[in-house]
Amino acid sequence: MSEVTGLLREPWEHFERQRGAGKFGIWVFLASEMLFFGALILTYAVCLIEHMDAFAAAGRETNIWYGTSNTAILLTSSLTMAVASQAAAAGQHLRRLVVACLTLTVALGLAFLVVKGFEYKEDLDKHLWPGAQFALHEPGAQLFYGLYWLITGVHAIHLTIGIALVGRLALLGHLKKLQLDENPEIEVTALYWHLVDIIWIFLYPLIYLPGRVS
Amino acid sequence: MTNQNSASASKRPTTAWRLWRRNGVIWAALLCLLFLSLGLAYVQMGLFTPTVGIVIAFIKASLVILLFMELASSKALIKLAALAGLIFVATLFALTLADVLARVGGQ
Amino acid sequence: MTDALLAGDLPLPSRPNYLQHGTSVISWLTTTDHKRIAILYAITITIFFFLGGAAITAVRLELFVPNGGLFTSDTYNKLFSFHGIVMVWFFLVPSIPNTLGNFLLPLMIGAPDVAFPRLNLTSWYLTIAGGAFTVYALVAGGVDTGWTFYTPYSTMFSNTHVFAAAAGVFVAGFASIATGVNFIATTHMLRAPGMTWFRLPLFVWAIYATSIVMVLATPVLAISLMLVMAERWLGLPIFDPAHGGDPILFQHLFWFYSHPAVYIMVLPAMGVVSEIIPCFARRRIFGYDFMVYAMIAIAGIGFFVWGHHMFVSGQSPYASLIFSFLSFIIAVPSAIKVFNWTASLYRGQITFEAPMLYALGFVGLFTTGGLSGLFLASIPVDIHVTDTYFVVAHFHYIMVGGSVSAFFGGLHFWWPKITGKLYSEWWAKFAAILMYFGFNMTFFPQFVAGYLGMPRRYHTYPPEFQVYNVMSSAGAAVLAAAYLLPLGYLAYSLFYGARAGNNPWKATGLEWTTSSPPPPKNFDRQPRVNRGPYDYHAEGQSAGTDVPELQNAREVR
Repeated sequence: MSEVTGLLREPWEHFERQRGAGKFGIWVFLASEMLFFGALILTYAVCLIEHMDAFAAAGRETNIWYGTSNTAILLTSSLTMAVASQAAAAGQHLRRLVVACLTLTVALGLAFLVVKGFEYKEDLDKHLWPGAQFALHEPGAQLFYGLYWLITGVHAIHLTIGIALVGRLALLGHLKKLQLDENPEIEVTALYWHLVDIIWIFLYPLIYLPGRVS
Repeated sequence: MTNQNSASASKRPTTAWRLWRRNGVIWAALLCLLFLSLGLAYVQMGLFTPTVGIVIAFIKASLVILLFMELASSKALIKLAALAGLIFVATLFALTLADVLARVGGQ
Repeated sequence: MTDALLAGDLPLPSRPNYLQHGTSVISWLTTTDHKRIAILYAITITIFFFLGGAAITAVRLELFVPNGGLFTSDTYNKLFSFHGIVMVWFFLVPSIPNTLGNFLLPLMIGAPDVAFPRLNLTSWYLTIAGGAFTVYALVAGGVDTGWTFYTPYSTMFSNTHVFAAAAGVFVAGFASIATGVNFIATTHMLRAPGMTWFRLPLFVWAIYATSIVMVLATPVLAISLMLVMAERWLGLPIFDPAHGGDPILFQHLFWFYSHPAVYIMVLPAMGVVSEIIPCFARRRIFGYDFMVYAMIAIAGIGFFVWGHHMFVSGQSPYASLIFSFLSFIIAVPSAIKVFNWTASLYRGQITFEAPMLYALGFVGLFTTGGLSGLFLASIPVDIHVTDTYFVVAHFHYIMVGGSVSAFFGGLHFWWPKITGKLYSEWWAKFAAILMYFGFNMTFFPQFVAGYLGMPRRYHTYPPEFQVYNVMSSAGAAVLAAAYLLPLGYLAYSLFYGARAGNNPWKATGLEWTTSSPPPPKNFDRQPRVNRGPYDYHAEGQSAGTDVPELQNAREVR
């Protein structure tokens, strides 16, 4: 298949092995990301166990509409990313679909960040940054919000990296400077993107759902 | 040139419609689960309420990892890599919580 | 792998080796050749080794007399903290994997390079960046939390450069993860035809097991340090007890990485020793399969024992019991390996070149250190000796007596292959023996002092411990000399050493079939493997039968 030799790089002799190695490599990296976010979520879990009521009270103060919309946005971006990745693997004839879906994914990712921005602003207006002015008085509530800012911040950084990676593929693909079909980069980027989505899937019930029962 | 990624039959050509349909169904399921967890968060079930939210999250994550990330149809080595990550996260949680729960007793 | 190739008899065509292929500084700084990256790493870790060594020289000078007065207690705290941080993350963790591992892994499996060469270079740059943060922390005044960064001291009370030091380690951690991903993919996907898993040299297995630990453990360290940095920089209360934070949680996160980290530091050393002993005893390794299973077991079980660092921290006694039990269990695979190395010597034709001296030293010193670990795994004993010099001696026996010895052994063993030059065997033997005696003189008295109650991390001590400290400091001087000597004779060999042939040690292994130094793409023809590793003669046979044609007992797999 002469179209793929342009994508072949050292030290590989056969494109299929290069592709297989890329896919394997990213999954190994995803395993490390599971430990990374797992440790963050463990921190949350331990603090939750030690301060259940305070966490419920603090969780009530989060904006469930922003949270739920953002979850829906990310789930949709996973849909578009999956379609992009599978379309790329299918061959040349779906090239425009790939570019369109990559672009949609970027747009949805940016939408998430915009919503997050509004949410952060509202949180700051409500004095939910830990410190002397903190709004809630239960001991442990500041702990919840300390973790909230940190974990959502780290997630947002990962998302931004994802947006940059997907955006690069969309732009280069649109300008026809990069071959999209059968390109392992798309599959690898898609796997990373789905991970960012999965992290948020777990953060949603931990941040937005506690304390809703009155 | 065979298509290895589409979960639909390998002989039929991949069309945009097929891709949207296959992935759209998964996406619809995910959104349903999302709104289910949202609704159930307001239902008083004692300790079950937060538990249900986390269980639903596990289900959603499983759908994404098995179907969107195609782990279910990947070769054994890939599944092993994913499993390794899971096992050691579980270890981290299990042994740390063994200490925390024994000390704090869920107070 | 033909016998003529192993014997170095075939005339290989002359072409530039990897050292000559591009000589500008830019060609080195933008290289994707794993062999050059290995050299970049080697220079880096050598610099850090001597930085960390300088710090501990100051410490041992202070400890020469009970109330030294050379440094204030604050400065002393910064010295041992810097020593620990630099030695663990910028010397030991990258040493064997990123220098010898980088150089040898593709060669040993018959590949032209690692799976992701550009990622490999990125790893080195991340290490440099992390190192820059750490050196900045030093230059700006140091950090005094100890290499363990315990909270809430590190987050709330220390007035030193905790953020910079933690950031340095955080960044270097990603280098570790990238290296791990690279090596795992390389081992799975780039083995030459016929190189099945159970024909791999044990060094490859060791690097593979180490890489798995790096990938899975290091992210948790990153989080533990990120939490500390977030608390210090953003004021977020995570480990602050006044807000309900749990300082012991930090210790769980920190040690979840840092215990497997010690296996990152020792497994590659075990791999090196497993390469050296068969060569200089002219015997195949005893129990190859169990050596493999033992390394996998060490890597795996190593993740379940971290709480043994927390027996006196306030951890629940039930959790402590579990961790203690598992810590006893993990001694078993290590013991199996020691037994097998010893059995590999049986009825061999043993010669005592410098690599062998280091390897044999490893076996003895690692065993001593490992046995002292069993003392520490036992909760009642640990309560008595924790935070004393007993612990310091234990981990130095393994890290220094073990890993550093193995690193030096490997450095000497593969020096001809890496540089194409032969070092002075007389000086090397002298340095190895000096190191062994200097090491024991430094660290054995610390077992006694610790058992008798001398606490660690104190710059003054009661006079009854002086005799041990004097012995230890004197030993450290000898050890320092032994570590400086190789700088001299190895550098000398680069300019004036004799040229090395392909296989000066007459060893088995694919790396010995190519030229010394290897060409840029490692092999002129892709090797095809049709026999197992360590094809030395079997027990009871004489050295006269030590010919590569001898069939390995294993059938073709």
